[in-house]
Amino acid sequence: MVGQGMGVSPETLLIALIAIPFAGSFLAMLFRANARNAEAYLAGAVALAAFVLVVMAYPQVTGGSVIRFKAAWVQDIGLEFYLRMDGFAWVFAALITGIGFLVVLYARYYMSADDPVPRFFSFLLAFMGAMLGIVLSGNLIQLVFFWELTSLFSFLLIGYWHQTSQARDGARMALIVTSTGGLCLFAGVLVIGHIVGSYDLEQVFAAATKIRVHPLYVPALVLVVLGALTKSAQFPFHFWLPHAMAAPTPVSAYLHSATMVKAGVFLLVRLWPALGGTNEWLWIVASAGLITFMLGAFVALFQQDLKGLLAYSTISHLGLITLLIGLDTPLGIIAATFHIINHATFKASLFMAAGIIDHETGTRDIRRLNGLRRFMPITTTLAMVAAAAMAGVPLLNGFISKEMFFAETIELHDNSLVDQALPYIVTFASMFTVAYSLRFIRDVFFGVPTQPFPRTPHEPPFLMRFPAELLVLACLVVGIIPGITIGPLLQTALHAVLGDSIPHYSLAVWHGFTPEFLMSIVTILGGIGLYTILRTYLLTADGPPLLRHIKGQRIFERLLVTISWRFARWLESVLATRRLQPQLRLLVIAALIAGFMPFYLHGTYTQGALTFGPRQTAFDIGFGIVWAVGIASALAAAYQAKFHRLAALILVGVAGLVTCISFVWLSAPDLSLTQLVVESVTTVLLLLGLRWLPKRIQNFDAADAGFGIIRWHRIRDLMIAAAAGASLAALSYAVMTRPQPQNISGFFVENAYKQGGGTNIVNVILVDFRAFDTFGEITVLGIVALTVYGLLRRFRPAAESAQVPEQQRSRNEGNEDTTPQKDSGVKGALAIPALMVSMLFPVIGVVAIYFLLRGHDLPGGGFVAGITMAVAFILQYMAHGTEWVESHLRVLPIRWMGAGLLLAVGVGAAAWLFDMPFLTSSFSYAEVPWIGAVPLASAFIFDLGVFALVVGATVLMLIALAHQSVRGHRTQRGRAPNSEGA
Amino acid sequence: MSWAENHLVIAPIVLPLFAGAVMLALGGERRRNINAILNIAVSLALIAISIMLLRDADAVPGGISNVYRLGDWPVPFAIVLVLDRLSAMMLLLTSVLAAAAAVFSLARWHRAGVNFHPLFQFLLMGLNGAFLTGDLFNLFVFFEVLLAASYGLVLYGSGSVRVMTGMQYIAVNLVASLLFLIGVSLIYGIAGTLNMADLASRIAAIPASDRALLEAGAGILGIAFLVKAGMWPLCFWLPGTYAAVPAPVGSIFAILTKVGVYVVLRLWLLLFGDGAGASAQFGGELLLAGGMATIVFGTIGTLASQDMSRLAAFSVLVSSGTVLAAVGLAQTGVTGGALFYLISSTLGLGAFFLLIELIERGREPGADVLAVTRELYGEEGEEDGAEETGIAIPATIALLGLSFIGCAVVIAGLPPLSGFIAKFAMLSAALQPGAAVPTQAWVFLVILILSGLAALIAMTRAGIRVFWVSEREAPRVRLIEMAPVAVLLLLCVLQTVQAGPVMRFMQATAQSLHAPHDYMRGVLEFSSARKPAGGT
Amino acid sequence: MEIVLALGIGVLAGSGVWLALRPRTFQVIIGLSLLAYAVNLFILAMGRLRTDAAPVLMAKGMGVPAEFADPLPQALVLTAIVISFATTALFLVVIIAARGLTGTDHVDGREPDV
Repeated sequence: MVGQGMGVSPETLLIALIAIPFAGSFLAMLFRANARNAEAYLAGAVALAAFVLVVMAYPQVTGGSVIRFKAAWVQDIGLEFYLRMDGFAWVFAALITGIGFLVVLYARYYMSADDPVPRFFSFLLAFMGAMLGIVLSGNLIQLVFFWELTSLFSFLLIGYWHQTSQARDGARMALIVTSTGGLCLFAGVLVIGHIVGSYDLEQVFAAATKIRVHPLYVPALVLVVLGALTKSAQFPFHFWLPHAMAAPTPVSAYLHSATMVKAGVFLLVRLWPALGGTNEWLWIVASAGLITFMLGAFVALFQQDLKGLLAYSTISHLGLITLLIGLDTPLGIIAATFHIINHATFKASLFMAAGIIDHETGTRDIRRLNGLRRFMPITTTLAMVAAAAMAGVPLLNGFISKEMFFAETIELHDNSLVDQALPYIVTFASMFTVAYSLRFIRDVFFGVPTQPFPRTPHEPPFLMRFPAELLVLACLVVGIIPGITIGPLLQTALHAVLGDSIPHYSLAVWHGFTPEFLMSIVTILGGIGLYTILRTYLLTADGPPLLRHIKGQRIFERLLVTISWRFARWLESVLATRRLQPQLRLLVIAALIAGFMPFYLHGTYTQGALTFGPRQTAFDIGFGIVWAVGIASALAAAYQAKFHRLAALILVGVAGLVTCISFVWLSAPDLSLTQLVVESVTTVLLLLGLRWLPKRIQNFDAADAGFGIIRWHRIRDLMIAAAAGASLAALSYAVMTRPQPQNISGFFVENAYKQGGGTNIVNVILVDFRAFDTFGEITVLGIVALTVYGLLRRFRPAAESAQVPEQQRSRNEGNEDTTPQKDSGVKGALAIPALMVSMLFPVIGVVAIYFLLRGHDLPGGGFVAGITMAVAFILQYMAHGTEWVESHLRVLPIRWMGAGLLLAVGVGAAAWLFDMPFLTSSFSYAEVPWIGAVPLASAFIFDLGVFALVVGATVLMLIALAHQSVRGHRTQRGRAPNSEGA
Repeated sequence: MSWAENHLVIAPIVLPLFAGAVMLALGGERRRNINAILNIAVSLALIAISIMLLRDADAVPGGISNVYRLGDWPVPFAIVLVLDRLSAMMLLLTSVLAAAAAVFSLARWHRAGVNFHPLFQFLLMGLNGAFLTGDLFNLFVFFEVLLAASYGLVLYGSGSVRVMTGMQYIAVNLVASLLFLIGVSLIYGIAGTLNMADLASRIAAIPASDRALLEAGAGILGIAFLVKAGMWPLCFWLPGTYAAVPAPVGSIFAILTKVGVYVVLRLWLLLFGDGAGASAQFGGELLLAGGMATIVFGTIGTLASQDMSRLAAFSVLVSSGTVLAAVGLAQTGVTGGALFYLISSTLGLGAFFLLIELIERGREPGADVLAVTRELYGEEGEEDGAEETGIAIPATIALLGLSFIGCAVVIAGLPPLSGFIAKFAMLSAALQPGAAVPTQAWVFLVILILSGLAALIAMTRAGIRVFWVSEREAPRVRLIEMAPVAVLLLLCVLQTVQAGPVMRFMQATAQSLHAPHDYMRGVLEFSSARKPAGGT
Repeated sequence: MEIVLALGIGVLAGSGVWLALRPRTFQVIIGLSLLAYAVNLFILAMGRLRTDAAPVLMAKGMGVPAEFADPLPQALVLTAIVISFATTALFLVVIIAARGLTGTDHVDGREPDV
């Protein structure tokens, strides 16, 4: 075999074929922005190399043989990297690489010196790779993969000149339309995979009958066809193609006529063996093709922009191909394949010609172009031949495939009315094809220039013409001696699609006076007639009659904006809120639902889900009274909180106190102690904070209570709150009156002393059994302290609340500066207490230490001790005022926090030395006999760490808050406080 | 197992804590540069550690490679850390994002406020703890740690926008935490244990009369998690908050919602798997429906959002909604795909949050937030030194554009990057051949594909507006800002190329998640009893 | 006892929720601390109620579970108390800052336009 004869195995050849373009694309990106030649050489070399590889591969794909390369990719989901080249894929690969090479050559001269070319060539090569990926994919997912890639690169190439809005809009439209189709294709492929059980192309073919009878056949078909139609710009998705003409002409020639738009029809032919052969196929595909064919031909005739004309003609020709595929017969497939090749050759050359004209004259407007024949005879000849091929003039390749097409339309398919009328319809439509081809030549190259061109045109350099020349030559050769030129290739391609059962077809130029020949003649004469009649009208018309006002693109844009912008914004405003209250409301409601759901599902009473057992502990009147107070104060607080903050604060304090008492009552001394100290500190913090909130005058706000809507809101919230309270009460009661399950806490009671070395079980749990929780807990405290500090560090309160409180203002008249004496007033007022407090300081300190030491055996512990210590500092603030303390304070809170944490970590990590897990308390293996009342458990040191951190954190927060008062006065001197706002 | 192997599992928690503590002991903000170095060092170390842990976890068939009994107390009484594939995977993901964000922050953000690095370390501690712990209440504690740190980071740099969104964020999460407590204690009151594995083993035996109470507890607990996961309609706090935070914070926050998702994955499959007797699949439909609703809502949001940061925030919602819905489908294959998706989308979003700041840099918003911060904190040397120091990289716009395409493709789940493979994995598993496809699977397919399309449209719109409409001069971007983005995206590429092994890991993880009995046995029987020790 | 405590919890929670749903920041913070009380008591209740059975060992030795109130919920409550203390402090500071930056004490940072 040739491949191996040259020491290259066909598999490596395939890999190289895919790899080279992408590698080239990567290299191309690295060049300088103005390196036109270097880029062109690189890209040309890449494309040529790829083409050579394709040619080398030919011997392995003839006669229905296939080159396969499989590599494992994602086995677990049955996805493998599978390159597969059969005859059909080969033809496409040849087109992609061959025309690719010519386009690169052409682009070298087309792109101007100041275009940033690296981007261009890089994307072009990447596109080539992606396109090869599509045709060489052996499994459908991989095909989709490359399919979407081509959309992406087409987007980037259309948007190459993104300064212009046409480029941007065209690019976006193309991307959205084609990748929407791509996603449909993805879905369709998934469905096929579901039916077949594999995405492997061959297995899909094998399961053809299974697919056709499957209930999901139609959805799969529709989705796949949607993918194909969008890509091939078929009605009603054709509108993106004309706008893609904003791309540089080489791109239009390559992507939007020769290759990418062919991907759709490629897919149809590829999957025809699996999906074809049904009425759905016939109707969906064929009708789309027919409409597109007619529409495109009609509209093309009335275009004034050269590229516009070519774009619509491309649409029309793709429609013709789709129609052929849709007719669902082997002969149709043959004609389609043949026409795909022919169209690629003549349309690419026509685009190049258009590009040359644009490049030379500086305009593409047919009305302004005239008599170019004088300036560029060669280009004229090229364009004429190519256009003739497009029109289907004998002795050119277009003619032969056109005849096959006519012949196929004459055949009967389902004998419906449309089917019978088909020959006449297509003949009529083809007249337009002839007409616009004629117009392209006659109006542009003949006649006399009416007005001077922007630039005086002359023949382009040879190398810019050369690609077109080559393609036109191909048109001629294929047109005159098809049998020996294209014949074998076509045979190879068809063998891959139709298998061994290829019906007889002849590529001869002359079949005698057959009906299809008659049709050709009629078409050509009719076309000439049509053109001569419409000629004058065409020069004045803008856009086709009737359809002039239907602009697919405008409809698309409207839809896009409406759905993806207006509608979305509206929906968001409906479905979402940016306000806090609704969110909390939703949260509570969600929790309520989540809580009720199970009872609803299990039936609240049927299975005794929410039954209550007998009460476990005797009722105690004292407890009742305490809680009567608690309940009252809670309700009062809820009622007062808006206008009488201080009152509310006190009431909440009472509720907290009641909580403490019930803790004692319910044998939880540690809790009540902790709750108590926390309570006091929190209250102080709130008091410090209170003064920075704006005053509320009752009647001012009571006004809005009048509004019905607000009353309704209140009622609703009241109901929610009531429901929440009731459910929590019910839940707790239900659990309390149930016997306790066999639970894990027995272990703690048993081992608290034996292995934890403490008699206060709760404390042992905190510092030993579950010390890790305490760890996290103190970390939280530390983090919060940091946050508070960070937030208040340079913060300045709002203007009016920055006033010195009334009781101070009187004394502070005169000295508005911020010197320590400023608080002298306070001092004076509280002189005696201040003295007492200063004496209290050490006392409280001792108490704190006491709590710390006894914690392990009796209620207390590091946290309580720490807070108590902090209370000492608070008292200092109360007595001496902020600045005095800040000047006398010798504590660096952040360092304390750090030290505390380190201590705790250290204790925990010490266990590692004994290869014990983190936080293993060393008490249990400290052999030293017990000394004194203070336990020597490592847990104690841990508690010490807790103590240090708590002191540090609390003091840090206090300073940060209290410091505001100093700031507050400062802000009075000028400086708008709210300027941080915006 | 060896000393290192045994204790390595707790390193992801202790190391950041230690680092944070040292930073504080050194005086917090006064040693910002030392803190920075420490932060980077620890983040990188964490990557290494979590890779080792991942190896261990993947080595053992059952998936549970270590049960670390804190304080050496026997299971199930005290707290245990459990290392299995899922937790190891989350650890690795976290540390990677963290390293990227930390490096990025050095360019300017860590100067915009105080104590960035300690807060960052504590956040990591909280995250890792949440991923490792095997104890319900301990999970609560670590949630609080990471939340507190996240509060700090949300408010970091202050400014009215951040404070207001921060207040919302905090308020909602405070209520959620209370729900968490109610749920946990209720479960304890009925089942009498806090250890997840122990709980799972007890559920089947709960008497019918108590079952509803237990499930109520679980339900309330679930709400708390779903708030974190950002499930509609509990997610309205998220977009504003995520859009307001500084870039590196946003990037690490990409994992924050995943914590909620993680817990759902872990607990729902563990507690209400098929072994749960009458409670099996409790709340599954809600999970599925909620997840889908979240996808839809997030998608609408992405379309409706004008600036990129909101777009990113809503994409976060889509991402977690997708995983929730996929889990709700309760098929092993789908779960595996969802895990793959979780990784890829989190990486992509992490990169995107960083990228946005760079893209928008030329175009103010990001910059004027900084300006505000500077006004607040102006005085002592907190102006961003981007201009003086560091290398500005060439071809910035090209690189930014390329990275943007990368992010867009990953987030929209289009070829050629990991997002596409993830979606394919989920969908092809949901449509497994042979069996009839349930309706919700079809709905899932439609929603997923449409959301991808919408993401594409939104991304294109934003990208065109930023890169194409205005021919703007390249912003000054420094290597340490570009590198993290590039690395995260390259990881997505790697995940695509190496999809085979990655997917195998994910499927294995999914299988063990759907086999709760292995987990229970693994945890309850892993550990030997407490060694006999001296003492009185 | 149970019924009293249950009622207490219910009322605390109810008023807490009500306040948490109010528009003024101060109301919200007060509401949250009421809620915190309710939840703490709820946690304690989950260990069932015992009087005069503080979980402090009298004898230095192995304790008998039946003799003591369930210590675990108490430990949990302690942790919860500390954490809610911290978060309350934080929230307080945040509302002050919000007030300072936006000039209003409405939870949304701007007066509602009814």
